[in-house]
Amino acid sequence: MSKELVLENLTKKFGELIAVNKVNLEVKEGEFVCFLGPSGCGKTTILRMITGFEIPTDGKIWYDGKVINDLIPQKRNFGIVFQSYALFPNMTVGENIAFGLKMRKFPKNIIESRVEEMLNLVGLTKWKDYYPAQLSGGQQQRVALVRALAPNPNVLLLDEPLSALDAKIRIRLRAEIKRLQNELGKTMIYVTHDQEEALSIADKVVVMEAGVFEQVGTPLEIYQNPKTSFVADFVGTSNFFKGVKEGSMVRVGDLLLKVASANGVNEDRLILAIRPEKIEVGKRGTLKKKYKENIFSGRLDVATFMGVVVRLMIELNGNEVITDVLYTDYEELGIKHGESLDIYLPPNGFMVFPDK
Amino acid sequence: MANKSESFAVSTTPPTGIISDRQIVILVSLLIGFILFFFMLFPLYSILKMSFLKNGHFSLASYYKYFRTPRIARSLHHSFYVAIISMIVTTILAFFFAYALTRTTIKGKNIFYTIIMMPLISPPIIQALALILLFGRNGLITAHLLKTDWSIYGAWGIIISEIFYCLPHALVILYTTLSAVDTRIDEAAESLGANAFQVFWKVTVPSAKYGLVSAAALVFNLTITDFGNPIVIGGNYNVLATEIYSQVIGLQKFDMGATISVILLIPSVAAFLVNYYISKKSFSLISGQARPFLRPSRMWKKIGFTGYCILISACIILIYVTVVFGSFVKVWPYDWRLSFTHYNFPSIGGYASLWTSFWIAIVVGIIGASLTLVSGYIVEKAKPKGSQLLYLLSVMPAAIPGTVMGLGYILAFNRPYYIFYGTPWIIIINVVICNYTLGMLSSITNLKQIDKSMEEAATSLGASIITTFTRVVFPLSKVAFMQTFIYYFMRSMVTISAVIFLVSATVHLAAIEIIYLDMDGRMGSANAMATVIMVIVLSFLGVVRFIGKKKFSSPQMQQSSV
Ligand SMILES: Nc1ncnc2c1ncn2[C@@H]1O[C@H](COP(=O)(O)OP(=O)(O)O)[C@@H](O)[C@H]1O
Ligand SMILES: [Mg+2]
Repeated sequence: MSKELVLENLTKKFGELIAVNKVNLEVKEGEFVCFLGPSGCGKTTILRMITGFEIPTDGKIWYDGKVINDLIPQKRNFGIVFQSYALFPNMTVGENIAFGLKMRKFPKNIIESRVEEMLNLVGLTKWKDYYPAQLSGGQQQRVALVRALAPNPNVLLLDEPLSALDAKIRIRLRAEIKRLQNELGKTMIYVTHDQEEALSIADKVVVMEAGVFEQVGTPLEIYQNPKTSFVADFVGTSNFFKGVKEGSMVRVGDLLLKVASANGVNEDRLILAIRPEKIEVGKRGTLKKKYKENIFSGRLDVATFMGVVVRLMIELNGNEVITDVLYTDYEELGIKHGESLDIYLPPNGFMVFPDK
Repeated sequence: MANKSESFAVSTTPPTGIISDRQIVILVSLLIGFILFFFMLFPLYSILKMSFLKNGHFSLASYYKYFRTPRIARSLHHSFYVAIISMIVTTILAFFFAYALTRTTIKGKNIFYTIIMMPLISPPIIQALALILLFGRNGLITAHLLKTDWSIYGAWGIIISEIFYCLPHALVILYTTLSAVDTRIDEAAESLGANAFQVFWKVTVPSAKYGLVSAAALVFNLTITDFGNPIVIGGNYNVLATEIYSQVIGLQKFDMGATISVILLIPSVAAFLVNYYISKKSFSLISGQARPFLRPSRMWKKIGFTGYCILISACIILIYVTVVFGSFVKVWPYDWRLSFTHYNFPSIGGYASLWTSFWIAIVVGIIGASLTLVSGYIVEKAKPKGSQLLYLLSVMPAAIPGTVMGLGYILAFNRPYYIFYGTPWIIIINVVICNYTLGMLSSITNLKQIDKSMEEAATSLGASIITTFTRVVFPLSKVAFMQTFIYYFMRSMVTISAVIFLVSATVHLAAIEIIYLDMDGRMGSANAMATVIMVIVLSFLGVVRFIGKKKFSSPQMQQSSV
């Protein structure tokens, strides 16, 4: 039987402030779920309710068919990895990893072999007798990871585990966590404010804003079909236009745009969003031959070199539009700062949201 | 290998004890609350009761009597006179000293700092002893050199003693304040055309105003509650604290003692509150500022401030030299031959009191450091309902004058069924409670530095609150624990005001013996006793430092930079 973790109308208030507002979620056994949202949106609070360090104001937390709201943290058997590592500085790496096993009163020989096994898992075998302060940040977080895994927790919860590390180590460790999750098949709940991290690591992403879940879905769904303008903005990059319906078209200032699908939005006032990579640019007059509609003339403001691609910021009737083109295409285009160019906004590239 | 995977095929949770973490926290909080209630509030209550009740009825008769007896009523005026003058002078002296140490580039700052801190480790009557040796009826300067009848006994004797007794306390506050304020403000003012004196008065002094008020309030509190110096050098000049003692011990008038105690409580609590709130405010301003770079001071500034620091340091050193030298001189100031005769203490049975003081100080250190650590943990980390009340109770003792607390203990516990009364244990409890505030505040400061997730990590791995405390929190608090232990040890070795009411025919304390020896006219022996106490405290500090250095330099204490 698979053990599910379910959040049902989970709510947490701190006085007047509603930190978490009636959220619902099912986490299947072995699933890798990622909470993504800006700082202060309530991610840590949810995690702390799941671990038992905060008592929910309202709603239920189910695990394996039982409500665990009132269960003390020690009885939940959930492992936690903290942003600050939280290794015990007075114990060696080995003693840190053995801590949870000693609490469970495992016999000495089993503890020893388990510690070895864990150290092996993250390639730190020869660091066993060192103290945490003697390790690098990345190594410390690896130790914290296997310390939490050693007693075989039902669920592993990670609260921004990589935020304190350098960009390079962050990417390496991210891959390592993903590998461990695959190997062990452990249910993991991972909190981050870094959208790239969330999209690359999770099976299921939960996008949060101000205590509510904006969208739950696979990374691809979240990226391609954001349900709200917040998600479209927070995950990936989008260009936004405020517009009003005008017949079958949408008016944005002086521009009249054709939009393929209204996405079920009935309101007259709309927000249109389009990803940079959907936009096409060309020399003046060239695009007219290829497409019938949504071709405008813009002025190149800034071109920023970003490696393989060049990010263009284009002034379009008072709107700033961002688009990315390959460096080679940019060379071929041969357009300089302040010059005009054609810009094509494909009708099926638009995401449509109601304007509140 | 099979064994291994089997063990971890299923998830296990750790066994848990019969009582839950929450229950343990509540039990411990109640216990500490009870201790503070019983050994602090109950004695205070006993004093209030004694002063306001006559034959079971509320009455202000004692207060009426207080203000109608000129000799007693004068003590209030005396106390304020002495306290206000000492407050003003000490704050100013300490301010310039702190200024020299933080804002100028004079040489020898460490030496000056060490010297001015010396009074903290000596019995708080050493200043009065030295003044008497120099300016007393048989003073070296007065009787011997100037051949005058004038002597220092009285208000000025007390004031000068208090100034040197309080200097280190005021300096610590002003030093912190001045080193936190950004000197770039001074430079900005100078660049706008202000001269050095304008900068000092318009920028430096105002920027340290919280520190100044807080230091002044602390000095006022220390002076008005001080007992040792006034009793030794006051002569006929009685202050509130000494009058309590005379009424109770001399005349057995407990109701009058209690009444004076209540009158003393008011200014002392008020000064404590000012100091407490202001220093809280100023510390919130201080936190997180970088130590600014100091420009080299001008020549005249360096010479002036070096001279000033030398003068103050010389006075302090003179105090110690006089007392130590006085302990070896046969008959001060007539027979200058050196001898050890004053070190025999025949009148008080030799060194017994020193031994008692020593072991009591050790026990006080252990109990005090443990209790304040646990209380700090409850208030700062566990935070059960009502922990704010516990915090309030814990910081109160600093507001209560020692003499008041001492009298309170007599009134509350002098009953046959309190079997600890008359034993060393009442002294131990008293010293622990009287110095609770600082111990508690320092343990809170330390615990604040322990990352909350460290404990949560332990809990989520299955540790109970007791295991978390003993295996994680305590090992990380060892240094702070040692510091609190040393603080309690030193306080216990030198304290006088409260315990003078609690020593008995069977329990003698060394610091108290100084006063008795002085009262008996055995000045040389009083000096000798003070010297021995200082030697013990100093060597103890040395030993602890030495052990500490060895113990705490292991790799786990190396701070990582991440
Ligand atoms: N113990 C607490 N008391 C009061 N407010 C809190 C507490 N913990 C968190 N909050 C508030 O709840 C909101 C959500 O916080 P948190 O869950 O830490 O956000 P995140 O982890 O997403 O950055 C924030 O506004 C925060 O200030
Ligand atoms: Mg957080």
